[in-house]
Amino acid sequence: MPVLRADEIGQVRMDYESMQAAGTLLGSGGVIVMDDSTCMVKAAWNIARFFAHESCGQCTPCREGCHWMEKIFWRIENGQGRNGDLDLVLNISGNITGNTICPFGDAAAWPAAAFIKKYREEFEAHVAQQRCVLS
Amino acid sequence: MSRSRGACFRERIEMDPVKLTIDGQEVATVKGKTVIQAAADAGIAIPHYCYHPKLAIAGNCRMCLVEIEKMPRLQIACNTPAIEGMVVKSQSPKVLEARRAVMEFLLINHPLDCPICDQAGECRLQDYYMEHDLKTSRFEERKEHDRKREIFGPYVVFDGERCIKCTRCVRFLQEVTQTEELSVVNRGDHSTIALFPDRILDNPLSVNVVDICPVGALTDRDFRFKVRAWYLKDTPSICPGCSTGCNITIGSYQNRIARFKPRINEEVNSHWICDEGRYCFHPLTEVERLTTPLIRQEGGLVPTDWETALQAALSGLGVAAPVAGVLSGRNTNEEAFLFARLMRKIFSGASVEVFYQERELTEVEKILKSPDRAPNFRGAREMGVSSDGGFASLLQQLVEGKFHGAYIVGEDLLPLPNGKKIRSALEKLSFLVVQDTHLTSTARLAHVVLPATNFAEKEGTYTNRKGRVQKLNAALVPPAGTLQDWEIFARLQGEAGEKISYLTPEQIFQAISHEIPRYRGLSYLRIGDPGVQLSDET
Repeated sequence: MPVLRADEIGQVRMDYESMQAAGTLLGSGGVIVMDDSTCMVKAAWNIARFFAHESCGQCTPCREGCHWMEKIFWRIENGQGRNGDLDLVLNISGNITGNTICPFGDAAAWPAAAFIKKYREEFEAHVAQQRCVLS
Repeated sequence: MSRSRGACFRERIEMDPVKLTIDGQEVATVKGKTVIQAAADAGIAIPHYCYHPKLAIAGNCRMCLVEIEKMPRLQIACNTPAIEGMVVKSQSPKVLEARRAVMEFLLINHPLDCPICDQAGECRLQDYYMEHDLKTSRFEERKEHDRKREIFGPYVVFDGERCIKCTRCVRFLQEVTQTEELSVVNRGDHSTIALFPDRILDNPLSVNVVDICPVGALTDRDFRFKVRAWYLKDTPSICPGCSTGCNITIGSYQNRIARFKPRINEEVNSHWICDEGRYCFHPLTEVERLTTPLIRQEGGLVPTDWETALQAALSGLGVAAPVAGVLSGRNTNEEAFLFARLMRKIFSGASVEVFYQERELTEVEKILKSPDRAPNFRGAREMGVSSDGGFASLLQQLVEGKFHGAYIVGEDLLPLPNGKKIRSALEKLSFLVVQDTHLTSTARLAHVVLPATNFAEKEGTYTNRKGRVQKLNAALVPPAGTLQDWEIFARLQGEAGEKISYLTPEQIFQAISHEIPRYRGLSYLRIGDPGVQLSDET
């Protein structure tokens, strides 16, 4: 599910409509809270790795796209990010969304795109400095 | 063929008409058809990998995504029923972008095997890339790897890296042969196709998975690396393996057969061919060909010219009554027609029959095969090559020494179960003429040997077990020195003083359509590629 920034949480209530209005989804109701000691690139990679690992593999976009996104996040976190990686992930995410057999593909695509959109400066710093800027 | 399971249930149960619009074109179809089927019937091709008209819908490749008005996301055309008033767009920007995206996803882990992959030239990845993509890959990571050149069975080899997990092979083995040798194992982009433990892919229809694999993941071991598909000359013909008469395309190069591929005919073999039929061209064409007639002199067979050979055959058999005539089940109706008339006119009291042996078939074999190796036994009999008691009786009479002469065409009788008795009977004949493509063990006993042609060099017709008349076309040019079987029969009749003036097999078929009541009104034009089913009334 798309991540919410600290300055976005505000008065968002933990119900379906409020979460949807805030641009994310309630999902199963599980909540992960991260503070600024967490690298957003590493978090994005961690989540992408989960989805790549759990993808059933039946349909083309999710089977191939999820692991592709994980590989790109891994490189960015490990100082091998390239110009164009961020827009590439956004594009891959868009190519998966809506084109899969089940919502797993969407569930994998949304956070990948949301992390980049909400924390773009952190991702760009990783690429520009060719290292994880938090460590 | 017996009904295959799976997608057969998708056949129209109702005939309610449905009208929809595809790409601005009004398409008329019936209730029960999916968008991809309605489009195909209207001549609109929607690209796809996992969909196959004879298999259950999988819907996993996502290549057939189309835009449908009033539906929020793109929908797969293969599993969306055609509804009255539906408006479908298969060329909108969203659809074209989705296709490009699916192509990119399929290609990111695909190996750069084209230069060494047999599928090149007939590969859906290649074809759809040229038609729907043409963008440079943006994948600059390490590709996932998988097992390469894994032997699945005696005729099928698997390449896991080329596989796009469409599951056509899995579904074919579940639904058509019901032998279930393969399944998908692992998960995510480590998904792959694998044999179940302790199984090999060796059912009698196994190589059909190679035909249906859209890429080079499953390939034919027999055809491997032989010739590039685009060099092949493709000739539509009929399989000479048995009397089912599966429709085939003969792929030949430099006057040799490289492979058979099945040709779609829903009335006969659907999309399939059995392994034995697929490869039967090997024993039938890869022999050392006879290129001159042979005549027996001082105990040995020596080359001679046609005139000498034909006259010797006529005079030899002429004083060897009663004469037996055995025609091969692989001879055409045209040849059988001439053979029957030749034997009856020239050798009165001759008994003629077409070679016919039955055998047991397994359940999987019964999906396609007939229990014989005589593709035209029915046609030959209908042309007049038949006697009371059938072939078994004629063979029995031969063994009992009832005949003094014999004219055996296109079959080697010695490998039969009672071969020893047949051999001594043949040796006791006062005259034996054998006509074949190569010097068989039967031919070695002959007084005259006549070099003829094989099925791939013939134009003519076969009538299959169920009474369907189908056309063979010549894919190969016969070797110099041989004559077509029909030409030999015509010349023999000419040498005997009854000149007949056919110039082509088509002219013989015209005579058949006049003289044989069941074949009235038929012509090569009417038979075409699909063939014609004879009706049951005489």
